[in-house]
Amino acid sequence: MIRYILKRLIMLIPVILVTSFLIFWAMSLTGGDPALMLAGDNAKPEQIEEIREELGLNDPFIVRYGNYMKGMLTGDMGQSYVTKRDVFKTFMERLPNTLMLGGAAVFIAVVVSIPLGIYTAIHQNTWKDTAGMIFALFGNSMPNFWLGLMLIIIFSLKLGLFPTGGKGGLDSLVLPAVTVGFGLAALITRTTRSSMLDVLRQDYMTTARAKGCSEKQVITVHGLKNALIPIITAIGLQMSLVITGSVLAETVFSWPGIGRLVYDSISKRDTPMVTGSIIMCSILMCIINLVVDLIYAFFDPRIKAQYSKKG
Amino acid sequence: MKKRLALLLSVAMLAASLAGCGGGSSSSGGSSDGGATGSGHKESLIIGTDADINNLDLQKQQDATNNIILKNTHQTLVFFNNGSQGDERFGPCLATSWEFKDDTHIEMKLRDDVHFNDEEKTPMTAEDVKFTLDMAMDNMAASILTGYVQCNVIDDYSIEIEIESYNNEFIQSLSSVPLSIQSKKAYESGVEDPYYIGTGPYKFDEWVEGEYCRLVKVEDYWGNDIPEGENLAPGVAEVIEFRPYIEASSRVMALQAGEIDVCVNPPINELQYLEEDENITVYEQTGTRLFYFGFNVEKEPWNNETLRQAVACAIDRDAVLEAAVYGKGTLQTTILNRGLWGFYDDMEGFDYDVERAKSLMAEAGYANGGITTSLSYASGSPYEQIATIIQSNLKEIGIEVTLEPMETATLKSACVDGSHELFLWRWNEDSKVDFVYRDLYYTGSGSNYHHYSDPKADELIDTVATEKDPELRLAAAQELQEYLVNACPQVPLYIANLVVAYNKNLQGQYFYGGGNHDWRHAYIAE
Amino acid sequence: MAQANELKKQYKKRTLAQETWRRLVKNPGAMLGLGFLGLLIMAAALSPFIFDYEVDVIGQNMSERLMAPGAAHWFGTDEYGRDLFARVIYGARYSLIIGVGSVLLGLVVGTILGSQAGFHGGVIDSIIMRGIDIFYSIPNIMTAVVIVSLLGPSTVNLMIALAFSCASSFARIVRASVMTIRDQEYVESSYAMGLPTWKIIVKHILPNCLSPIIVQITLLIGTTIISASSLSFLGIGVPAPAPEWGALLSAGRGHIRDASYMCIIPGLAIMFTVLALNLLGDGLRDALDPKMKK
Repeated sequence: MIRYILKRLIMLIPVILVTSFLIFWAMSLTGGDPALMLAGDNAKPEQIEEIREELGLNDPFIVRYGNYMKGMLTGDMGQSYVTKRDVFKTFMERLPNTLMLGGAAVFIAVVVSIPLGIYTAIHQNTWKDTAGMIFALFGNSMPNFWLGLMLIIIFSLKLGLFPTGGKGGLDSLVLPAVTVGFGLAALITRTTRSSMLDVLRQDYMTTARAKGCSEKQVITVHGLKNALIPIITAIGLQMSLVITGSVLAETVFSWPGIGRLVYDSISKRDTPMVTGSIIMCSILMCIINLVVDLIYAFFDPRIKAQYSKKG
Repeated sequence: MKKRLALLLSVAMLAASLAGCGGGSSSSGGSSDGGATGSGHKESLIIGTDADINNLDLQKQQDATNNIILKNTHQTLVFFNNGSQGDERFGPCLATSWEFKDDTHIEMKLRDDVHFNDEEKTPMTAEDVKFTLDMAMDNMAASILTGYVQCNVIDDYSIEIEIESYNNEFIQSLSSVPLSIQSKKAYESGVEDPYYIGTGPYKFDEWVEGEYCRLVKVEDYWGNDIPEGENLAPGVAEVIEFRPYIEASSRVMALQAGEIDVCVNPPINELQYLEEDENITVYEQTGTRLFYFGFNVEKEPWNNETLRQAVACAIDRDAVLEAAVYGKGTLQTTILNRGLWGFYDDMEGFDYDVERAKSLMAEAGYANGGITTSLSYASGSPYEQIATIIQSNLKEIGIEVTLEPMETATLKSACVDGSHELFLWRWNEDSKVDFVYRDLYYTGSGSNYHHYSDPKADELIDTVATEKDPELRLAAAQELQEYLVNACPQVPLYIANLVVAYNKNLQGQYFYGGGNHDWRHAYIAE
Repeated sequence: MAQANELKKQYKKRTLAQETWRRLVKNPGAMLGLGFLGLLIMAAALSPFIFDYEVDVIGQNMSERLMAPGAAHWFGTDEYGRDLFARVIYGARYSLIIGVGSVLLGLVVGTILGSQAGFHGGVIDSIIMRGIDIFYSIPNIMTAVVIVSLLGPSTVNLMIALAFSCASSFARIVRASVMTIRDQEYVESSYAMGLPTWKIIVKHILPNCLSPIIVQITLLIGTTIISASSLSFLGIGVPAPAPEWGALLSAGRGHIRDASYMCIIPGLAIMFTVLALNLLGDGLRDALDPKMKK
């Protein structure tokens, strides 16, 4: 088991190498000089040159990348060009906000999708099934920033129920989380539905019914438990969607998470901040995937046994 | 079961976050609407800004939003008055008086009762001033302090500044926020973030990037005895908090919901909602931000002056003003920002006149039009709107314009490299004319995106900067403006109005046309 | 022999298509989606004949700016007095072309990568597939932002940026399909006959994984339309004054309070189009699923 986790973590190294190179390279090709952004409008050409020198922007690309990676080896992800603050520290300050948003979004998606999936599975091939699936598809069919704007129009402007943006109390989390969460609902609903359909046909369901379990018990205890693995896979697969959705939702709702951080940093050509954040995002994704895998093991003793054999 | 699953998922998310979560940020305390304190004002003043606060190290940043915050915590040698306190725009602040000994030496007397807001209440002396100015020359702030050579300490409270050559506006430079006086001792003691130590009536309490920056009133502020209403008087509100609301609509709604007390730059199309709201005042005055349309005069065919003038005549600036800011602005002919010294708008210029434009086109050798070109600008409002109007205007005289919206960073690089053809940009200056003439038009200067170079213009710019006789200087300034308008490297479009919306009980605010407002004495009356 | 093979395949293909169609017709959601898409494509194709691009779509009329939807302007007008109905209908062209274009581009790239990985196996396979995994782990909107800022905003560059994220899913499908058939005799014999790789791909590989690819294309066009609008929303999409739906939305964002229809209507256009694609995609998935055969 531990060896399996270690192996997965070692896989992170090429991920870091390749992502950092690609991002660094892309940022260096992207038009736009960070020194110009930093120097302000009144700067003289000599002063801009000085800033460039100070940031090491005059070095050839390979040298800059080399220096950056040297820093990485010692755990130093560099300093933001703009704020002059430590990239890792800044990222870690923002991360809890995004995780909070992502967590709430997944929670909302699960709360909506799993019951809906079960419902449509039970009523397979009826109009209830069709209606339920179309409802779930809606979330997947609109740009989530647009949903965010619509929610702002309805719930903030017209009804005045929730704040329009910024991070305040728990109420400020509701609209952004619904925005991101609704987009995840379609896949989770569909997976729950098909997974439940498979399970409902199994013999042990009939057995359970024959034993005199109530229908509710049959479905939740015997059905859902066995249908869970594909559902968790579906949720795991959606994690990159959570991050993507957050970039936009964070812009619409002025939510101070990593999505907005990356977007702002790109527009300021803050290469260390962009590279560092995207590397951290990739690492985060890998860790989330690992956690999802470990959860399978928890739910499915067969997989657990497999890991143990390897480990 | 459902609950258990949800719980499990949140645990999973948490586990992922634990992977490297060292410090973690403290969430906002939500101390927003503090109760009344009995002295007739609300405890806190909350200001919604339109941009993130990104760096509070004075000399290493150039950002308007940072400067607005730093104005409360730090003080400059010279005070820049917004025009409400007499005609003398630059008055004493930490320096009490100054005098040119000769062309290159300025003797300056300092206040002797100022101390820094550190534990020991270290007095501010000439050493700190010298330290601050010397340090500026090694930092980004050097661009403001051009011409500075060195600073000699005469005694504890007087200094002599040496400059390269006489300049009419050197003293003005010393009113810039990045040149606020910092503590030499703080830097030498090796304390973390020494730039946080200032002499202002407020000091930093907490800054959470992207969320808020909170300042608290300094209890033993050195100027506690200075009477209310004076520039250096102590603050009123116990807490001033700055919160970025990047999304303009959110900022407006936050003001209406009472989450913030001040909303800077509310979008013009939403002003109606604020004007209807009886708890809110919408303040409006002529601003200093000039939006303009420029040519890269090094590129064919825009090196043709007559052609440039034809384009100037073809632009319907009323329509531009209407589309960009719903008419909330002022048209002008000259290239100088309104309100600056020597502003001169009494010239013919190039008003919207399609017939004249067509005849100028013919004169320039393009009777049938047939020019295709591109217009670069920073994506988003108001450039998007300006560009759309200009594109259809220029079509009338046979110029096909492709719009090229880009990110600001890309635009700036393109403008510096000279790979652009036409462009839109803005210039915001409310104190120094040299920062307009020299930066935009002098041969080879950094923001001369026109790549304009003309010996006569250069000479006039130098005259305005160094001529001591006020009459000769004014004459040179007027000639220069007329010369530049005629040469037409840029078409000045409009000066945007300054608009601020706030809680109707706000008092003690001090607005600048350039947007660099002073909140030190502002509070919400109760 | 070859001819006979060809005939046999055509025959088989036709029955597959017919079978799929028969099953698809029974799915009301899919038919609804197909109907909507048909209408939309027709409107997009005919729009140049109905509207004059210069006058109706990008021509400005400041006296009629920001008019609410009504009899004169069904969808209202925007901040330059342009009729929103004309712009939304015309905008379908941009959104559909971007959607279809990037997915097809992604299909080509994905097929090449996937088949190379599948055919060669070993090191090449690992390199390509790990690369795709890594690419997959970076949120695709970020990649697109980087690519567009790299190449500059234009319709073609936008397609390239979006094609990247489509390529990885096609590569996986194709690779899996190649792995299952690469050792079969008819593929080996094609190789032996010196058939160029691309011909083998077109002849043997693609038909073999046609069903998942068709489903994936339908669904990805929808996702891509949404991504394109997201990029426009972030200010790096199709340049003005082209009425791409995302650009319309992003223009409407500033008027969310005083002219909310400017934001609502283009969003609805995107939503219904993508919903139609999703319904059709789901329908196709079921119709092509061998498990569903009775």
